[in-house]
Amino acid sequence: MHDLATDIADTSCGVFFSISEALDPEKLHRFIVGEDEAPQAMEAREAAEALGDPFATLVLLRGVFPRTAAEVLDAIDAATADGDPLRQQMSFVLGEGSQIPVDAETAGLRRSMRFLVTRGTGPQGPDLLMSAFSPDQAEAEVMAWDARSGGFNYYRPVGPSVAWVFVGNSRHALLEPTEGKGPFESHTSGNFLMKELRAPWVHWHSPDANVFPTAFPDGDPLREHPWFTAKEPQGALTCELQVAKPGISRWTAARFEALLAGDGSIERPGRILAQILDTPTVNLISSHAEGTAVGSEPVDLPQTFFVDSEGLCETLGLQAPEGFAVGGPIYASSLNSFNVRLSDGEGFERPGDTHFAFVVPEPAFEDSEVLRAAIRVGLITERLAACLLMTDFPNPVFSTRRASLLAHVPGVATVTQGQSGFSQEMADAILGAAPGTPDGSPEREFAERWEAGEEWRVQFGLLLADYYRAVGEGLRNQERFDDYFVLAESRRERVRGMPISENPLLFARSDAPLTTRAMAADGSVLTTGEV
Amino acid sequence: MTTLARFSTPGRLPEPTEESADAWSAVVAKIFAPYLEDLPQFFDPTVEDTPEDATVAPVAWSAFPATVRNRSTSEEQRWAEADSDRSLQDEYCEWSVARNAEGKLTRVTFTTEVPEFWEHVAEDDSDKLLSVYRELVNPEVALDDLFDDSGRYFRTNRWNATTDGGVAHLIQDSNTLGAAVDLSARATVLRERDGRPVVNQQELVSCGGLGNPFRNSDPQIAAAINNVAASGAEITLQDPLGLYIDGFLTGGMATPDGEDPALYWTVERGDPDHVLRARYEVPEERGYVVGDITAAGRPLRFGGQLADRVEVRVTALAKAASHRPDRQPCEP
Repeated sequence: MHDLATDIADTSCGVFFSISEALDPEKLHRFIVGEDEAPQAMEAREAAEALGDPFATLVLLRGVFPRTAAEVLDAIDAATADGDPLRQQMSFVLGEGSQIPVDAETAGLRRSMRFLVTRGTGPQGPDLLMSAFSPDQAEAEVMAWDARSGGFNYYRPVGPSVAWVFVGNSRHALLEPTEGKGPFESHTSGNFLMKELRAPWVHWHSPDANVFPTAFPDGDPLREHPWFTAKEPQGALTCELQVAKPGISRWTAARFEALLAGDGSIERPGRILAQILDTPTVNLISSHAEGTAVGSEPVDLPQTFFVDSEGLCETLGLQAPEGFAVGGPIYASSLNSFNVRLSDGEGFERPGDTHFAFVVPEPAFEDSEVLRAAIRVGLITERLAACLLMTDFPNPVFSTRRASLLAHVPGVATVTQGQSGFSQEMADAILGAAPGTPDGSPEREFAERWEAGEEWRVQFGLLLADYYRAVGEGLRNQERFDDYFVLAESRRERVRGMPISENPLLFARSDAPLTTRAMAADGSVLTTGEV
Repeated sequence: MTTLARFSTPGRLPEPTEESADAWSAVVAKIFAPYLEDLPQFFDPTVEDTPEDATVAPVAWSAFPATVRNRSTSEEQRWAEADSDRSLQDEYCEWSVARNAEGKLTRVTFTTEVPEFWEHVAEDDSDKLLSVYRELVNPEVALDDLFDDSGRYFRTNRWNATTDGGVAHLIQDSNTLGAAVDLSARATVLRERDGRPVVNQQELVSCGGLGNPFRNSDPQIAAAINNVAASGAEITLQDPLGLYIDGFLTGGMATPDGEDPALYWTVERGDPDHVLRARYEVPEERGYVVGDITAAGRPLRFGGQLADRVEVRVTALAKAASHRPDRQPCEP
């Protein structure tokens, strides 16, 4: 078994595909990248102690080892009685090429059509989630809620013998030495991953864009498979409300409950602050306008491209913008100027935008949920949260300025009966460092924000109002909108480098210059470096 | 192969007599009639056979109006706006809210009942109309409140006009059975622009003159039917014809006592597969009200918060056929 250790130089999710040795398919293994050097069979007692989710307790620990994705569901059925919540199934379909009709030109396109199938029901979301390309394939990823220890347990079959491997629990996403490794390379905080989490859910079957059978080639049995024919009619909308958001909230609540379960001291509060100040992952959002429908009418643009309205407005109650839109002709001109096209990188190219126009990254719901939880439990105050998020507020994602404030996070925090001195300690640390930093530094900007004191809502509201006005003016000008387009492209390029980018059709391609851009508070776009 | 003897009432609501049932069927047949000659891929199931193996194609969408959603920039803003005026609730589902003395939400009632059916009841049996109004909306309703000076049933009468005074049936201009049939029939026409098939929802709706491309419902109905029509099939709407409440999503909701929030969803009209009217209300003995329940961490303060979670459905039926329609240019 130890000859596999050579593979472990790769700590990405790809390591699971590099295992060439046939593991015993009649045993459950564990391979938690960062902790384990190689897959190893779990002893029955060890597995029973470690795993309390329904996939383990009803299937794997009973010596049942499904060979395909469909067999996973069959095994759940075999282990449960009629009426058991685990008999309740939902299926969803998505794919980066799902909205591109199959024709002679696109017949060979890698569309990444795949399914999410869930079992279980209830306001906290389903207990078992499985992602698979096909019911008949072995390749599947299973997440199952472990009510005993909290968090989702992650499983996947690996190697030529299709042996099931426990690859970690949500908590491994947050702990050294496993964080960022294996499945937690993309599930950065241990959550279910639904990149396109809000309307219009580009790439998913949804009320805004159906995925029809014609997305599959003629004769493809998936056209007739119940996962497709009996999929949730509302698709992504149901997944968002019934699966993704409840699941993320469930894990976030369990995570904070565990953090505060002892004497209230929280080690590594920086791990929490990283989800507030940095961009460990993103969701994708777009205009509601179809790319092909752009004409003379205005194209609405997602406000979270311009401001973290989820954090600043929904959570902290600051003023929301009135809405951002650009004239159709201006948008179309930018598409033309930058030669925007869909491309799979393997020969397929089609001029124009993605199915919905202007797909861009936005702050991830899972990170916004952590912000809300941190405020709710008393770890951070609304004032500190506002001052942090208002530092470099025109850049809701990928702000190196805001992320640099992580250097000042205290090493330990204590929360007692919903109260903590953490916010003042962190503010003091930044304020103490500010005088020694250059003019315009993030620390100095934070100090200005902190200076607002209890008037922060009023003062930040004025700052935002000025910014919204400046952006609104920019959107009426072709040259300035071109700048926004390049800014969007620079953010997309960052996402293309993230593990969640799995298909070139995730975004449209363009000839926009690949430089890192940042938005300024006056609505102008600055060049800050090479991507 | 079967031919429907007649169109059923929405949700198979009972009719007092055979004559009443025939009269409703005649209303629906009249809605279908204008399309049958010119649109060969749309058919009347009381005239033509529908095979047993006809493909069932449910189309579902959220009751919350997409036009309000798309132009709003905060959650509270959109919920409050959608709660303010029935004319904004344009997804074939409308709602009305009730509050207690503290202003807390106590009940939200949703309906997908088409006005044509209530007009039919008014014409057929005004006493029954009054009794249903009194049962569903308010015991104080008087017959004179429901008819205008010329004796015609008044859709937007005082008991069915607002978002907080009760709800009987749909009143928004686009929320009619006639509009749904019109859309379904005309969506069987395939379209092209510059030699390229038009298949995307918004573009299809704009191209075919099929309504507002930014609603939830119409673009999706149009695209689903158009996609089936491209296969050469013939299409109709499934009996009992109507718009139905297809589900209520409780993910992320929490009650003060940990009870399942789904318990408080009650179907008031229709059968389990064809729900026409439902309410969300906590029984008094629980000791709390709807406004004490949270969704995604926020207390329920608006009907729109629940409308986000209400699924509306229409079901198309397709029978295999061998039409080879030419794609038509966009409407001018």
